[in-house]
Amino acid sequence: MTLRKTFTAALLLSAISTTAWAQDYFISDAKLVTNTSQGIVENADLIIRDGKIAQIGTDLTAPANVETISANGSWVTPGLFAPFSRLGLMDIGGEDVTNDTSSGESKTSVSELASDSFNPKAVFVANTRRMGITHAVISPSAAGDSIFGGTGAVINLSGEYDSVEKPSAFIFVQLGENGTRRAGGSRAAALVQLRAALNDAAAYPGRYDGPEDGDALTRQDAAALVKAAKGQMPLMIAADRAMDMLNIIKLKNEYSNLDIIILGAREAWEIADELAAADIKVMVDPHDNLPVSFEAVNARLDNVILLDEAGVDYAISNASALGVQRPATLAQHAGNAVGNGLEWDKAFAAITSTPAKWFGLAGGTVLQGSGATLVVWDGDPLDVTSAPTDMFINGDRQSLESRQTALRDRYNPTSDDTRLFKYR
Amino acid sequence: MIKTLRMTLLGTTSLALLAACGDNTETKSEDSSDKARAFASTYQPQPSETTLITNARIIDGTGQEIDGGSILITDGKITAIGTDVSGDAAITIDAGGKYVTPGIIDIHSHLGDYPTPSVSAHADGNEITSPITSEVYAEHGIWPQDPGFDEALQGGVTTLHVLPGSANLFGGRGVTLRNIPARTVQEMKLPDAPYTLKMACGENPKRVYGNKGGPGSRMGNVAGYRKNWIKAQDYQKKRDKGGDGFKRDLQLETLADVLDGEILVQMHCYRADEMVQILDLAKEFDYKVTTFHHAVEAYKIADYLKDNETCAAMWADWYGFKMESYDGILENIPFVHAEGACAMIHSDDENGIQRLNQEVAKAWAHGNRAGLNISKAEAWQWLSTNPAKALGIIDETGTLEVGKRADVVMWSADPFTTYARPEKVFLDGALMFDTETGLKPKSDFRLGFGE
Repeated sequence: MTLRKTFTAALLLSAISTTAWAQDYFISDAKLVTNTSQGIVENADLIIRDGKIAQIGTDLTAPANVETISANGSWVTPGLFAPFSRLGLMDIGGEDVTNDTSSGESKTSVSELASDSFNPKAVFVANTRRMGITHAVISPSAAGDSIFGGTGAVINLSGEYDSVEKPSAFIFVQLGENGTRRAGGSRAAALVQLRAALNDAAAYPGRYDGPEDGDALTRQDAAALVKAAKGQMPLMIAADRAMDMLNIIKLKNEYSNLDIIILGAREAWEIADELAAADIKVMVDPHDNLPVSFEAVNARLDNVILLDEAGVDYAISNASALGVQRPATLAQHAGNAVGNGLEWDKAFAAITSTPAKWFGLAGGTVLQGSGATLVVWDGDPLDVTSAPTDMFINGDRQSLESRQTALRDRYNPTSDDTRLFKYR
Repeated sequence: MIKTLRMTLLGTTSLALLAACGDNTETKSEDSSDKARAFASTYQPQPSETTLITNARIIDGTGQEIDGGSILITDGKITAIGTDVSGDAAITIDAGGKYVTPGIIDIHSHLGDYPTPSVSAHADGNEITSPITSEVYAEHGIWPQDPGFDEALQGGVTTLHVLPGSANLFGGRGVTLRNIPARTVQEMKLPDAPYTLKMACGENPKRVYGNKGGPGSRMGNVAGYRKNWIKAQDYQKKRDKGGDGFKRDLQLETLADVLDGEILVQMHCYRADEMVQILDLAKEFDYKVTTFHHAVEAYKIADYLKDNETCAAMWADWYGFKMESYDGILENIPFVHAEGACAMIHSDDENGIQRLNQEVAKAWAHGNRAGLNISKAEAWQWLSTNPAKALGIIDETGTLEVGKRADVVMWSADPFTTYARPEKVFLDGALMFDTETGLKPKSDFRLGFGE
């Protein structure tokens, strides 16, 4: 009986905290990165009301009954948006039973939804959130004999059970050496599989009168590819070699509706003008400068800068350094693009507003009327020595505590707690 | 040439005989230096000019920061440092207030033994044929044309320690290299640097050998160490005694050299409880664990590390990729340091090695945010000083002190930020990387791809 009462009360409380009585806030004296044509506004004040940015100004007064957060001249920015990750798709990468990033034994591919595998309570979500990341793309990876990983999603990092913001956000395709292996052993075979699948989707449902009438995809996988084939959803294709990317451009010439994002793109600088002309988006890691494979022999540190000069639409990822599992270092990778010569505003947009736009989410900018997804920092967000001091996702103030901070606090050498560690 | 070779071989034999007859330590050390000569260093510092760097903000690696400091480099060595330095120099560089630091030392690298491109033919870092391979040497798997060496130099790394991988309980010997563009690994070896022994705890050995005859558990891991240390003790006695019956055994030779204190143990170990078990193991067989590598849970046992004078080499923020790395925290390095133990950064990665200063900057900032008060000059020791100590080369490099090799980096900005880049890197006083002139090395592999 008592238990039941407590349970009901808890339910009520949680309903209240997330919806009914959303707290309003006043953020004062911010160095505000708007990510709009307004650029960075010094000494900015913001009023957050009902989860939205109600007002931005430089001389605002705190409304009554709101909580004030003083930025003291420090940085306030839109939340960071990790454009590629496997966050919440695994607990321990090395332990297969906890790892849902791929399904080598399944008979399906395109139709598998990463959002169905997503666990917002995986400790990496909160551990990553406290480094300023409010949103992330989560992607399945290709496995078995399919070049298709499945359908990726966009999540927010609130850690709540309703944090999948876009369950069907893009289709992931693996080309290059990895895709080649899956397709049977040659790049030609991988491209045949991709073209055949696009044709299957274009001919869906007509081609599927019989039980197995697709050239490359089963009925449900073809159905899942239809939107991407029509360009209503991005097709994210992993490739690094310039020649492979030229083949993707050719594909786009054949299927002109495709909305293509190339992931990796280590040699993209070689064909930057062609990528810009074909209106193909590119997601690069500015740390990738080594010839890690024979499809990346011309990798170089200023790849992203050359893409920028050519007018390519690009986002920045931190796929190296275990970034897919833990995108917490995203800001460092963007910061290194700045260290190598990219303008700060451009690097910052490449980890906020650019990916938000690509995947069809409002956000990544600070505008009057937009949802309050904000981070207050103790320094330049692209500097490795900075960290968030406060965060909002869709108007809800977030905890910056996580399993890592719990361990930190238990073992902090400045603590004067003398109890056994397990009692702390 | 042939004559020289034969004479060397004869020399080897006679020295070995001497060792076999003698029973004092002097003979033994001759014996071991002779063994080292089998793949002896042919490292030669590049020609350098007498160089005076003035007007620098010097972090010297001893924990001190000198504002408006100067460094005099003569014959590749540091001959003066401080605020009141004068001397005739062929080259004077006005640092304009920029930071000048020791060259970075990475104690955990697989450059060369897992080089890029990472094709299967290049996987020369793990001898995955038996859990006991103390007979293999990392240097025999190192490809000096790994483009990663060149990029690491541009990140300010002047010395690095390359080890075998962690598949085996006893992985083999590691080697300390100068990061000099070279044709052979011998040209890179730091002369007289002690050899190291790579050992591994935990998940890797039991995973790799679980279905190949064991070890299949952590119990089997420890049993495997103990059985082989017993063999090594026996071998050590026989070797000390010498005589016609003594037969050289490469596997046990490495272990006996550890027991003799000539080889430093560098042990891959993540979990706190496991590290303390290993410290007990070392007591049982009377050897020393110089450094735990990866040491993701070192912060839980920093007091043990301090008491045992064992160092911990750590990442700033890698964790969670396997069970034994699940408890990683961002304050690991500063927490270990704050306890008074010997802490340092390491990369274990061809990307991370290019930005070790940023990794330290992260850890430093998180530590201070958690309530510590560590200065940049103090934290710099995680980048060069403590790695030099843990590799037994602190008398040669790792700090900017008179008499040491002039391994020096001049930075474009504060190295404790994302935006700083090495502008000049000196190795033994010779300028090896310079953004001003575009001087930088390029591996053979990088040539001719139609750029």
